Amino acid sequence: MGLIKRLTDWIDCRIGVRGIVAKELTGYLLPANINAWYSMGSILLFIFGMQVATGILLLIYYVPEADKAFKSVTFIMNDVPFGWLIRMCHAVGSNMMVLILLFHMLSVLFMGSYKRPRELNWLSGFILFNLIMGISLTGYLLPWSQLSFWATTVATNSVSSIPVVGQFLVEFLRGAKLVGPPTLGRFFALHVTVLPLAIAGLIGAHLFFLKRTGVSTPPFGAKEGDSKWQGDAYRYEDHPGGIPFFPNYALQDAISIALYLAFFLSVVFFDPYLFFTRESFVAANPFLTPAHIKPEWYFLANYQTLKIFPNEFIGLSVQGAAMTFLALLPFIDRGDERHPLKRPLFMAAAIGGILLWIGLSIWGHYS
Amino acid sequence: MVNEERRKFLGICLGGITASAAVVVGYPVYRYLAPLQKEHAAGKVVIPEQEVPAGGARFFEYAGSTAVLVRKQGGDLVALSAVCTHLGCIVQWEKEKQDFLCPCHAGRFSSEGVVISGPPPKPLAKLPFVVANGVITVG
Amino acid sequence: MRQRIPGIMTACRLMITIFLVLLVILACPGLSAATGTDEIVCIQCHGTLPGKYAEPVKLWQGSIHQENGIACNSCHGGDPKDAANAMSPARGFLGAPKEKDIPAFCGRCHVGVLKDYLSSHHGKALGRGGPTCVTCHGNHKVFKATLDLINEKSCSRCHSFAQAEKIKAAMSETEKMIMTIETRTAGFKQQGIDTDRLEKGLFAVRNSFHSLFHTVDTDKVVAESARIRAELKKLDDLLNGIDEQLRKRRLFGAAAVAAALLAALLLHLFRKTFDRD
Repeated sequence: MGLIKRLTDWIDCRIGVRGIVAKELTGYLLPANINAWYSMGSILLFIFGMQVATGILLLIYYVPEADKAFKSVTFIMNDVPFGWLIRMCHAVGSNMMVLILLFHMLSVLFMGSYKRPRELNWLSGFILFNLIMGISLTGYLLPWSQLSFWATTVATNSVSSIPVVGQFLVEFLRGAKLVGPPTLGRFFALHVTVLPLAIAGLIGAHLFFLKRTGVSTPPFGAKEGDSKWQGDAYRYEDHPGGIPFFPNYALQDAISIALYLAFFLSVVFFDPYLFFTRESFVAANPFLTPAHIKPEWYFLANYQTLKIFPNEFIGLSVQGAAMTFLALLPFIDRGDERHPLKRPLFMAAAIGGILLWIGLSIWGHYS
Repeated sequence: MVNEERRKFLGICLGGITASAAVVVGYPVYRYLAPLQKEHAAGKVVIPEQEVPAGGARFFEYAGSTAVLVRKQGGDLVALSAVCTHLGCIVQWEKEKQDFLCPCHAGRFSSEGVVISGPPPKPLAKLPFVVANGVITVG
Repeated sequence: MRQRIPGIMTACRLMITIFLVLLVILACPGLSAATGTDEIVCIQCHGTLPGKYAEPVKLWQGSIHQENGIACNSCHGGDPKDAANAMSPARGFLGAPKEKDIPAFCGRCHVGVLKDYLSSHHGKALGRGGPTCVTCHGNHKVFKATLDLINEKSCSRCHSFAQAEKIKAAMSETEKMIMTIETRTAGFKQQGIDTDRLEKGLFAVRNSFHSLFHTVDTDKVVAESARIRAELKKLDDLLNGIDEQLRKRRLFGAAAVAAALLAALLLHLFRKTFDRD
């Protein structure tokens, strides 16, 4: 005990850590009525860290070359000790990241936390969402299985329905007329450098916005409301009398992460094949299209939307419009009320939208 | 006071779980990174030289699968895996033609194991061997 | 308010562009790509011809040959890329073999089977009313051979089923072992386990087993079955080893999940001790 105290004293004398702890951790107060949904972000941060760690480990044995990629993944899965575990954690983790991200976005939607002055938080989060989809898509190709190859063929092909430049864009994306070794090269570069760096940067921005604006007060229960932003000048939303981030809410974060881990590990150990089809374990064959190639579950709604419309470009535009609407939500929905039950129009639209998305996904799955 | 004690107890439990979690995570990562051990358990196979006549072949078990020794007309010896690289059937030595034929889909290999015709994607794997005192040692 | 609108409009436009491009990258349309063997001129032309000319294409689709990328030209020769000269003998076109030439036609690839067939009673009766390959296996609609090919309906076209039934009985147990190993191997393959060695081992055993049948000699079938079963036993042991390993993984997983849940519970209790402060 004495040694730890002396060491802390030694460091504190030099860089003043106790001051930072008092200000940023124990003195960082959160709304008294904060709930577990506020810990989704911490889970996501944890997942991102895990994806980075397992990703780096996979890089040790993975070979980003069309002739060798599938073999190297098979090698990782079968010959490297615990390679199966690391690969499964990475693959299942990517799906979990999308899933928890959806929960995070839903909680923000229903508690109205996206509303001003938090437009920048919403926007940075929304871009993060798109980047996560992008990193999932590019990662999907890397094992160079039949599933990877054909799912990527289908996904990149939809770009061709853009008038005039469509064909050019498809070739530019693929690096060739068809998906092939050049595609693997560029997707690999995006997946392991560009996208993770962009995501890390945006996470930084997202947290910075959170820190500067202050944590939003949940619309349920006790009202605080005197340090409300008025739109005239910058004002930090503080929560005097709230609960400290450390140790109280940090422990809530830890509970959420432990519960997440239990869920995640049960998928990894008992049914990781939720996310794999038989084509995932067959090497890519450009001359053999497998039947029933479906995109990942989170793209099923997009996939089905494209199929509903007679013209792919209309399908694309509809999706673009929907995504733009979501991105600009805080600029469109400008009321101050944040309690979901007092926003009937919002509730109807949100529930309708979720049901539509689920319906389209199910339809896409069975079509 | 009860609260203090409970907190201390739970803290110790949590510390224990964290420490064991670190070990449980650390061990697979260590094993994953540790240099891979090649299996040398295959062992060697010894075959008397006279069992491989000129222009003839001698099949034998090697490292859990089938291998073959061939003495070409010139007298040179070759040791090859006898497992066809197409779908895994065992190739047969065609003495008249001095080459290997796979009976499953007509894959043909030269006496050196090189693909001559048919569907096999790769040549037959060559095996190392030494000849000393009239005995061939494969492996 | 008014002053903000142009800014928002620009932001809107920018957003629309960005998200359109992003979505475009993400979204997936239906798939109609046809590739590989489907693109050869034989199929393009014959597939659309009326009546019996289109029949071989239909029969071939779904066959073991199609599954493995063995197309028309693999057997019938010719030039699959040049519609005008596709069926020119100068390009190696063979057409359909006469009945007595069928075994040699198929035997260009299935050499082992051909040898066994020719030395059997079936093969010796070739040209004198004896069966050829297609009598039992069909021509274009060739499936992976199973024991079901030996059945009363098929055999009794020429002779009594008694002898064939004896052979079938001698083979059935081994065949069952092969089927079980095949199913289990396929199951493991879907779990990302490298089954290449198992598959090739099984293929070789199955092949030597099935070609053995073509000798139509019950004693030989019985004698050889023992050796083949020993081979199958080896494969079975490998499969059991994998099963055991997977069981261990699940056990470990259950412990990990339990530990995470326990940690969550302890953390919850731990946090409660701070609530009362």
